[in-house]
Amino acid sequence: MNLAVAEHGFLSPTGAEIAFVLIGLVVLGSALLVVTTRQVVHAALWLVVTLGGLAAEYLLLTAEFIAWVQVLIYVGAVVVLLLFGLMLTKAPIGYSEPPDSAARIPAAVVALGATATLLTVIVDAFRTAYLHLGDDTVGSTEVTGQSLFKVWVLPFEVLSVLLLAALIGAIVLSRSRSRAHSGRKD
Amino acid sequence: MSMSTAATATLAVTKVDAPTIEYGKLSPILIIAGVAVVGVLIEAFLPRPARYRAQLTVALVGMIAAFGAVVWLARDLPDDHRGSVTAMGAVAVDGPSLFLQGTLLLIGIASVLLIGERRLEPAGGDAFAPQAAAAPGSQQEKDAAAAGWTQTEVYPLTMFSLVGMLLFPAANDLLMMFVALEILSLPLYLLCGLARRHRLLSQEAALKYFLLGAFSSAFFLFGVAMLYGYSGSVSLDKIGVASAGAMDNDALLLIGLAMVAVGLLFKVGAVPFHSWTPDVYQGAPTPITGFMAAATKVAAFGAMMRFFYVALPGMRWDWRPVMIGVAIVTMVAGAIIAITQTDVKRLLAYSSIAHAGFILTGMIAMSDAGVSSTMFYLVAYGFVTLGAFAVVTLVRDARGEATHLSHWAGLGRRSPLVAGVFALFLLAFAGIPLTSGFSGKFAVFQAAARGGAGSLVVVGVLCSAVAAFFYVRVIVLMFFSEPKVDGPTVVVPSVMTTAAIALGVAVTVVLGILPQPVLDLADKAALFVH
Repeated sequence: MNLAVAEHGFLSPTGAEIAFVLIGLVVLGSALLVVTTRQVVHAALWLVVTLGGLAAEYLLLTAEFIAWVQVLIYVGAVVVLLLFGLMLTKAPIGYSEPPDSAARIPAAVVALGATATLLTVIVDAFRTAYLHLGDDTVGSTEVTGQSLFKVWVLPFEVLSVLLLAALIGAIVLSRSRSRAHSGRKD
Repeated sequence: MSMSTAATATLAVTKVDAPTIEYGKLSPILIIAGVAVVGVLIEAFLPRPARYRAQLTVALVGMIAAFGAVVWLARDLPDDHRGSVTAMGAVAVDGPSLFLQGTLLLIGIASVLLIGERRLEPAGGDAFAPQAAAAPGSQQEKDAAAAGWTQTEVYPLTMFSLVGMLLFPAANDLLMMFVALEILSLPLYLLCGLARRHRLLSQEAALKYFLLGAFSSAFFLFGVAMLYGYSGSVSLDKIGVASAGAMDNDALLLIGLAMVAVGLLFKVGAVPFHSWTPDVYQGAPTPITGFMAAATKVAAFGAMMRFFYVALPGMRWDWRPVMIGVAIVTMVAGAIIAITQTDVKRLLAYSSIAHAGFILTGMIAMSDAGVSSTMFYLVAYGFVTLGAFAVVTLVRDARGEATHLSHWAGLGRRSPLVAGVFALFLLAFAGIPLTSGFSGKFAVFQAAARGGAGSLVVVGVLCSAVAAFFYVRVIVLMFFSEPKVDGPTVVVPSVMTTAAIALGVAVTVVLGILPQPVLDLADKAALFVH
């Protein structure tokens, strides 16, 4: 079966699209668990499933670069940062009481309203749109890398200066040395 | 089948052409970035007592070398003074870039001299917290102060900020401009929170500056996205070409323009984005306040001029009326609110807001004379404000700097020299003839009048008159009131602060009496590369 020649209807049941929907259900389910679980560490771990599932969705949409960026930055860095934050700040982990529920119903209404709006807009805009991606896919790792290291090489390299400055600043603000250690090398 | 052929196509190795970067043309920026990295290495490997001297030497030598590189590049500019674009279109090396980079490096040298001052605190140490991680008022903090610790990381942080400042007015695309904006801002947020005295005030200032700064950066970035959506490029030239043909009111272009302008106006402290200025100027360590007040304005006005002159010259009939309004509100609010201030640092902060309005006046002229007069004003203002904050560090009592105006009563009788120098700076702020402030104001008002913004000039002159009132009031307070019995004393600084103040006095007097050489230089340097 040739995927490229198959008809491109909205939700036509090809293998890739079935997989897309199934992974989407997993993402949706784990996202619900992130906000409903009472254990904050479990929430962080469910977030890994959600974000990893999203990466798989990107792969199915042939956006490989975005997929690996998703894995590296969100799964790799953000969730790890979250867990480190829990470890280092003496925040209570384990079972926690349900949060104050006074704002729960308005919050749900707002969330549902936002979801409905987004769904309407996206379905309305892209239901009939079909974009043929050529061989030189915009957003592929090759094209992104080419432009990143050719056209945008200076901003890219200079960003490392920013990160170094932030690192030094974080050390200045957080590192405390005690008198006991000060005689060692100072 | 087609999927497998696609897979082999991506696996095939294609040759990547290396980007062309003219390192020579980036040398001032690269030197300062190198100095910052060497500063980090000094922190890592040198024993603590040796760091101060090493940091100071490396920073000063590096900035002098970078200034030499700027002069060398300026001599290499072709005869028609057109510059060129380098680093794949990211950085413009032209007259305004080099003029402002030279100014920034000189301000940087004077600022590092102030930052390195260690004679003023009675217990020793510099203007920065002995240990930033210790909670204010804690035993740990007292121990750190008693042990005489200092944090020499302030030098590499200042250099990092300077890297961003050198890049900001030279950035030729909006992406580079945003990265430069972040590099110049982030170290400043940190440095604001490191004051040795009044630490809670200092930390509050840092947090306020950080939150509002992050907010304004978001505005800037969203504006960049809008302009990219309009023109399909972030390059200032290409946005200029695309916006030149804008006939109808294109929402994307106008919203993008407005949001980028908000980000830039925040950095220069123009009304209505000025609310951070007094708190941050008051809370930050005074040498950093001086650096921030002088250098950030130079860098941000440079970037703002490039944005409006290169990317949006075709849109001038849309943005000029708005900017004229901003300039008027900025001058009026800065001058009037300054009258009510009772703290010297806050007074200088509102004065800097009023001056942002005067500088905007020059920018709005939308001509070469507008660019050159704005750049001249930035030089004049930068050194006056740095000198004024340097004098503020000298007037002290038991609790540190005595910044309340009532403490300055009668200062002229106790130490006529320091009070006289401060009076000179105040007169320059007010724009009295024979000071640099007069030459600068004359140049921007002349450019604005020729550019057809006569109403702006009238408001500007009126605001100067109002502003002169509170500057003269401080002078009267210093020289014609009785000194308080428990008033502050003027501490004798080391040669470094003396040199910085002397530089400020020299620039103020020379640009007041003989402004022509610098005006000519600014005239020659007034062409942006397209």
